[in-house]
Amino acid sequence: MSRAAALSRTWQPAALGVGTVVGAIVLTEVLIRAGLINRFIVPLPSEILAAFPRIVTEENVLSRFLLTVSEALSASVLVAIFGVAGGVLLHRFVLLRQATETWVAAIAAAPLVLIYPLYLVIFGRNATTIVMMGFTAGIAPTMLKTLEGLSGTRRVLINVGKSFNLTPAQQFWKILFPAALPTIFVGLRLGLIFALINIVGVEFLINFGGLGQLINELSERYDLAGTYAAIFFVVLVSVCIFVLTERLERWLRPGG
Amino acid sequence: MAVMSTPTRRTAARADAAPDKPILLVDGIVKRFDTPDGPLTAVDHVSFTVAAGEFVSVIGPSGCGKSTLFNIIGGLVDGYEGSVSVAGERVAGPHAAIGMIFQEESTFPWRTVIDNVAFPLELAGLPKAERYEKARHFVELVGLAGFERRYPAELSGGMRQRVSMARTLAASPKILLMDEPFAALDEQTRLLLGDKVLQIQQELEQTTLLITHNITEAVQLSDRVLVMTYRPGKLKRSVAIDLPRPRSSEIVSSEAFGHYVAQIWGDLREEASRGLIDDEQHKLRRSGET
Amino acid sequence: MAEAGRLIAAGAPPRRALVRPVMLLRVVIIVAVLVLWQLLAVSGLLYRDVVPSLPAIAAALYRTLSDPGFYLHLATTGYEIVVALLIGGVSGVVVGILLGASRLLSRAYESLLYYLGPTPKIIFFPVMIMWFGVGAGSKIAMGAVSCFFPIALNVAAGMRQIDPVLIRVGRSFRANSWQMVTKIYLPAMRYPVMNGLRIGLGVALIGTLLAETKLSNRGIGFLVIQAYSLFNMPQMYSLLIVLFVLSIGANALIGRFGGNRKGN
Repeated sequence: MSRAAALSRTWQPAALGVGTVVGAIVLTEVLIRAGLINRFIVPLPSEILAAFPRIVTEENVLSRFLLTVSEALSASVLVAIFGVAGGVLLHRFVLLRQATETWVAAIAAAPLVLIYPLYLVIFGRNATTIVMMGFTAGIAPTMLKTLEGLSGTRRVLINVGKSFNLTPAQQFWKILFPAALPTIFVGLRLGLIFALINIVGVEFLINFGGLGQLINELSERYDLAGTYAAIFFVVLVSVCIFVLTERLERWLRPGG
Repeated sequence: MAVMSTPTRRTAARADAAPDKPILLVDGIVKRFDTPDGPLTAVDHVSFTVAAGEFVSVIGPSGCGKSTLFNIIGGLVDGYEGSVSVAGERVAGPHAAIGMIFQEESTFPWRTVIDNVAFPLELAGLPKAERYEKARHFVELVGLAGFERRYPAELSGGMRQRVSMARTLAASPKILLMDEPFAALDEQTRLLLGDKVLQIQQELEQTTLLITHNITEAVQLSDRVLVMTYRPGKLKRSVAIDLPRPRSSEIVSSEAFGHYVAQIWGDLREEASRGLIDDEQHKLRRSGET
Repeated sequence: MAEAGRLIAAGAPPRRALVRPVMLLRVVIIVAVLVLWQLLAVSGLLYRDVVPSLPAIAAALYRTLSDPGFYLHLATTGYEIVVALLIGGVSGVVVGILLGASRLLSRAYESLLYYLGPTPKIIFFPVMIMWFGVGAGSKIAMGAVSCFFPIALNVAAGMRQIDPVLIRVGRSFRANSWQMVTKIYLPAMRYPVMNGLRIGLGVALIGTLLAETKLSNRGIGFLVIQAYSLFNMPQMYSLLIVLFVLSIGANALIGRFGGNRKGN
């Protein structure tokens, strides 16, 4: 295949994807101006675009963003500590693992976020509820991935450790844990993503916090263009964090 | 260029098919591919015919383009020069008169044996009772009676290939096209399945084109063996196998059999060693690049 | 459980005997949690009813399950989820098949779905309300949008792991597109599809319930937030218990039904 042909193979599909999105936006603008779509339900894309700078300056988007991110970080730290520790514990105490692993997996699949009214009662309508919600959402996948990483260590590596007469502690820190790190990172990333999603969601639901609350406020003020703009902004932030953590994970996992 | 001999006389008279009117006509097939190393000619002006009821094998070294030929005749590949005709009709896409049996495991793992075999009949819209009855006939034909309700996972590799065979036969194709169907099986199973194939072919008077790299298999089963060269694939020689019919796997021990095998191997060895050298050079080039 | 086999050294008790300690530990854990709970409830350490006593929760549970009105709410939520799964599921499968079958489409649009997937969908709720009203429509829309992404992505990936020879078999028998989809594609990827549906059910549940807590006068989500606003904690706990039992049960059912094996 010629160099040109190979190149076109790479940017043509991306162009198609981006082109379709841009085309849809332009089409929406046209249809609304023509009166075919009700502009009180779908605001003009041009208005939404215009609302962006307004939102950024008037609504303290930066400080809201920092608030949400700090909540997410706090939750992630908690998830990292307790999730990894939990996974290690389950790996160490086989009986405990056999008894509770299915429970943890079941909880991971349940709609945990529905507990937020309970947390509202226990912790009040503040950042603690939000952080706790993020922590609750992120801990199960992290625990399970840690467990998976540790128990997935190749038999031969464990035997190498045994052949050097390592103590259990040495065996853990020098062999099991390093071998499990790639999977643990995957778990941490999953935990972060889950935590973030739930945090922004709960911010929206309880009308407190950073970016999630912004969307709720704008919608209650019937600021249509502003609401749409804020939603797009939050989606953008979420995608960026997703991509960043993906890159970070790949960088930390050479040859993984 | 190919040296084509006239098809041998069939022992049973076939009054319906005129001996000089072939059911499969392959005419001047040329197939080129674009590779990172430049254009590659896989098949280079291959022409031959197959008469009704004949069993023809195409044999060649790995990389000689025989699988490409298989896909072209079966209508799964286009973009080639030349033509393929079945009973006078030009082939452009999978043809109703051609049944294909692939080299890889191809049974549907989620269907029972009988449901696998009934698949073409299901596609044709036959009612349930009718297609099960027909399918059962073919299940028995390949010697799997009693296994109708089993799943492929419960069967051996050889049995699964028999299911694939029954499935293709159930569509009653005029021409059976097989691409090394026994490649994954051990030698004894091969010989026994070869017996089965012979038996079925003789019973159904099924026109068959077999692609293979196994000389024993080719001689055991065929009326004619077409030897292909290494890339670019051309027809080197057509060898008429004048062994008596009906045959069984016992034929492998006969002297005439040994003769044919030796003759074909003589042709093939040249091509196979060319392939080996080419392979090594290719690998050296590749490792030199990276 | 397979770990048990590896850990049994020569001379250790046979596997059957090891089941007992696991059961015992589970019972111990459950009993310990319940006892701690009850102690916390009657200790007065926490504000009033934040941790209600076990009998109070049990009574509330009984009241909830024997109230016919509850089942109306349950039916509303159930209906919303089923319709959401249908809409999101069918569109997800269709889009997944299209993406999986065409490398061009996949390269153009699949990353879009992949990166939009892990976003908090509930923030779209105000838009859903504007488009579909305050009734069941917006909740269904919420659920459908939530489950579309994992299902589409799973089906697309599932298409690509189908053994290519099976597709060649279908083509060699000249199956038309509908036959290819129903008789080859879908059966060949039944495990990825089932897995996608399982995940889809989970997120559709979340989307629908959260929407109900935000703005609704019917459904389980509404009941939960109502219990919160009335500070009827035993009721809230009983609702959460029912909710979790049902959702974990549904998840296990699909998991069992769809098999947990990879490939094939």
